[in-house]
Amino acid sequence: MKLTEIPVDGIPYDHLRIEKIPVTPAFAPRDPELLPASSRVLVVNPDRICMPIGAMWAVLGIHRAIPFVQGAQGCTTYARYTFSRIFKEPATIATASFHEDAAVFGGRMNLVEGLRNLVVRYWPEVIGVVTTCSSEIMGDDMTSFIGEARMKLQAEIGPERTEQIAIVPINTPSFAGSHVEGYDRAAKAFVQSLATDRDAPTNRVNIIPGLFYPGDIREIKHILQEMGIESTVLFDISDTLDAPLEPPQSIPYYPPGGTHVAEIKGMANAAATFALQLDAGGSGARYLERKFGVPAVVGPVPVGVVATDTLLQNLGKATGCATSPALRAERGRLVDAMADTFHHTMMKRVAVFGDPDYVSGITRFVCELGMTPVAVSAGTESKNFAAAVETVFSEYQSLFLDPPKVFNGSDLFEFEEYLKTLPRLDLIIGNSKGVDIARELEVPIVRAGFPIYDRFGYQKRPIVGYRGAELFLYEIANAVLDHRYPDDRTQQL
Amino acid sequence: MVVKGRGHQVLPDCSRPTLPGVVSERACVFYGARWMLAAVPDVIHLVHGPVGCAYYGRTVRRKSYRLLSTGLDERDIVFGAGDKLFDAIMEAAARYPEARAVLVYATCAVGLTGEDILRACKRAAGKIGRKVVPVNSPGFCGQSQAAGHDIAAAMLLEHFIGTGGKRELIDNAVNILGEFDIQGDLNEIEDLLSQLGLKVNCAFSGRASTSAMADAHRVRLNIIHCRRTGQTLADAMRERFGTPYLKVSFFGPAETTSAIKVIGKFFGVARVEEFISRANQKAESEAAPFLQQLAGKRVALFFGASRIGSMAKVFGELGMEVVMAGSQYGCRGDYQEAEAKVANGAVLIDDAHDKELAELMRKQRPHLLVGGTKEKYLAHKMGVPFLVFPQEMGPFAGFRGFVNLARQTAGLVSGPVWRLAHG
Ligand code: SF4
Ligand code: SF4
Repeated sequence: MKLTEIPVDGIPYDHLRIEKIPVTPAFAPRDPELLPASSRVLVVNPDRICMPIGAMWAVLGIHRAIPFVQGAQGCTTYARYTFSRIFKEPATIATASFHEDAAVFGGRMNLVEGLRNLVVRYWPEVIGVVTTCSSEIMGDDMTSFIGEARMKLQAEIGPERTEQIAIVPINTPSFAGSHVEGYDRAAKAFVQSLATDRDAPTNRVNIIPGLFYPGDIREIKHILQEMGIESTVLFDISDTLDAPLEPPQSIPYYPPGGTHVAEIKGMANAAATFALQLDAGGSGARYLERKFGVPAVVGPVPVGVVATDTLLQNLGKATGCATSPALRAERGRLVDAMADTFHHTMMKRVAVFGDPDYVSGITRFVCELGMTPVAVSAGTESKNFAAAVETVFSEYQSLFLDPPKVFNGSDLFEFEEYLKTLPRLDLIIGNSKGVDIARELEVPIVRAGFPIYDRFGYQKRPIVGYRGAELFLYEIANAVLDHRYPDDRTQQL
Repeated sequence: MVVKGRGHQVLPDCSRPTLPGVVSERACVFYGARWMLAAVPDVIHLVHGPVGCAYYGRTVRRKSYRLLSTGLDERDIVFGAGDKLFDAIMEAAARYPEARAVLVYATCAVGLTGEDILRACKRAAGKIGRKVVPVNSPGFCGQSQAAGHDIAAAMLLEHFIGTGGKRELIDNAVNILGEFDIQGDLNEIEDLLSQLGLKVNCAFSGRASTSAMADAHRVRLNIIHCRRTGQTLADAMRERFGTPYLKVSFFGPAETTSAIKVIGKFFGVARVEEFISRANQKAESEAAPFLQQLAGKRVALFFGASRIGSMAKVFGELGMEVVMAGSQYGCRGDYQEAEAKVANGAVLIDDAHDKELAELMRKQRPHLLVGGTKEKYLAHKMGVPFLVFPQEMGPFAGFRGFVNLARQTAGLVSGPVWRLAHG
């Protein structure tokens, strides 16, 4: 049945069509001068969001923690909406509710009163105070405001209970970076304010997953368990943003799981810190190395065979634990699947976009599959990204006739216009913001990265590790097949 | 928060700022302005601010026609971004030669640096020969999105509405004020009006092109379909152009019927009765099986204030008991209207935050909560089914919309998953 109508008679399906650019028939070809993002001041279809949301993501991965956003309501509400759309979970985030008076007098009252109101209503164990453009422009002095708020709390609920609440300031002036940097700053802020002593070194490892989804974090935990390694996952959203439905819940609602404060305190005692994403979390790992000599292993992003191999080796080196037969079997199954699908993946021309770490990780994996990346685009500018993809390209030179186009800190308008000039493109891999582009170019899209809000289940399905890569491979292969061989008569398997 | 009882009317406190430190369901002024203006299709929407606000602006009403931003960075904040804004307008105009005007939204960041947006707009307007209009909507300059609605309405009145040269009335044309064209609602209403031989010129703000707005003063009647924004616009247009207005609702068969009747009477259309009774009968028989499932079920409402009253009535028509009606940003009039339509013992509340909402759910034990996506998943965790409103699947307006609403509501309330979850 061709779907032409939504279930109420008379409403054309067309009506629900996503509005896309251009919307008018009078559409004129682009002015070539305005195509590169670097030659215009205008940002069109940006593939990045603002810093605070990255920090809020991080705080939501902590046990009984609530982000407190020092800004007007909008900056909070849209983040809650975005989290709801991605994770299909409630996101409890408090706002300082700036109004005109805050804009005139600064956000001191809002923070002091706000923290008090938050504490007596919700009794969180951790509050991550996330700043916004507004508070940064006004120059709110977070440290002194928080000190004042603590005094107020002490007077009201007693010093003991106040002591039990960790309040961590995270400076996230959005105009200075994207959500990726917001997460990174949160990682550093948390270890800096909580992991203050290396008093009893252990053989545990720290994992800073970056903006990976609950499914990915579970996969990493599975690997660690197989190797017999004890670990602390910082910002562990695997339960907090993927909680079971077990009504009724008590109020205030805190989802199960999340990283405990005691665990974060212990991070200074670890044997090593693994930051799985270079740009999102790397600073936290490096801080622990500088301050306490905890070795930092930053990247590579563990997507695909080689990168996962490297992760396992590095984990072995840091702890002395060996990889297990089960993991070896997983690797074997992955390469088996790669062999079986290879004739469909090889030489397929693919474009990848998203956050820098997602893109560099996925680019390596598609090269392992024998695909040819023709354009890769990082929505957030990153030095690591440029270096990482260049390394991949030099390792897989045989895949390319022409060097692939690399966009670093570009917007999706530029990316789309470039893709339109290509003679052939078989697949796009990226987040939900690329769906319109794929539609327009009539190319299949495989969803991966941040954010995915228009489909179910992606936040649970890993792409990291051997098993994640295998699932990801099937997504890729099936997308190609769906597109090329849509029915049984054309089936080629 | 108040509980409706017998005796004189009590209304909740409203129109006050949000307490800092709570998990507010309110959005910002900029959001409100976007909500109103997102549906103006043939202009450039330029968000002057850091990239985050623009991303936010895109998600509003899922309409992202030509949404661009100046993507302010650190240097712009320190040294000012007036020139950057000018350049951005020029580039945007070059990129979309077909766009009729440029709307420049001011966000918190530029509100705080206090730069002169108007100057850049004027300068650019002179160069490109199109309207360049600032929308002064920094997020903090009001209590909630409601202030943004008003700012947007005032801007439209000043710069777009009734600016066309011609004066004479267009035959059988009407405007609809406060109709947002969610999921085909406007189509439903247009269909009904076409039965009366009427044509919709422009819907504020579901479908409002610049040319339709320019002709907006040439209609014979303004139909208000949403209290707040609709009323302001209608009053202003009556004063300026003498356009009469009627206030109606197209939600639920009873309201729709009386709406058609009064509009029909205004235009002197005969034989309205017959068509209405046919439509009514059809809706009734189609909705009947669903109403059976809904009889006596409790429902709690929490969404944009202007629709609270009319929706409370519709849920009553579904045979449900409205045990709570609230909004992020109501005004007195909104709650007066809602109060009249809920049962004794129902709770009325303004700007409830998530903890209050959760508590109310425990006390009032609704079988269904109706509200926005943000509240949906908390309701689920509490074990309560949820209907997203403004809706996500199909229209709720008119007769067919009512059947659709009945169908969805019945489906949600009797979903097997809730038995399994509680089991
Ligand atoms: S860009 Fe700045 S002001 Fe805008 S939503 Fe993000 S933090 Fe708020
Ligand atoms: S910065 Fe202001 S305008 Fe932008 S989203 Fe936040 S509250 Fe709204």
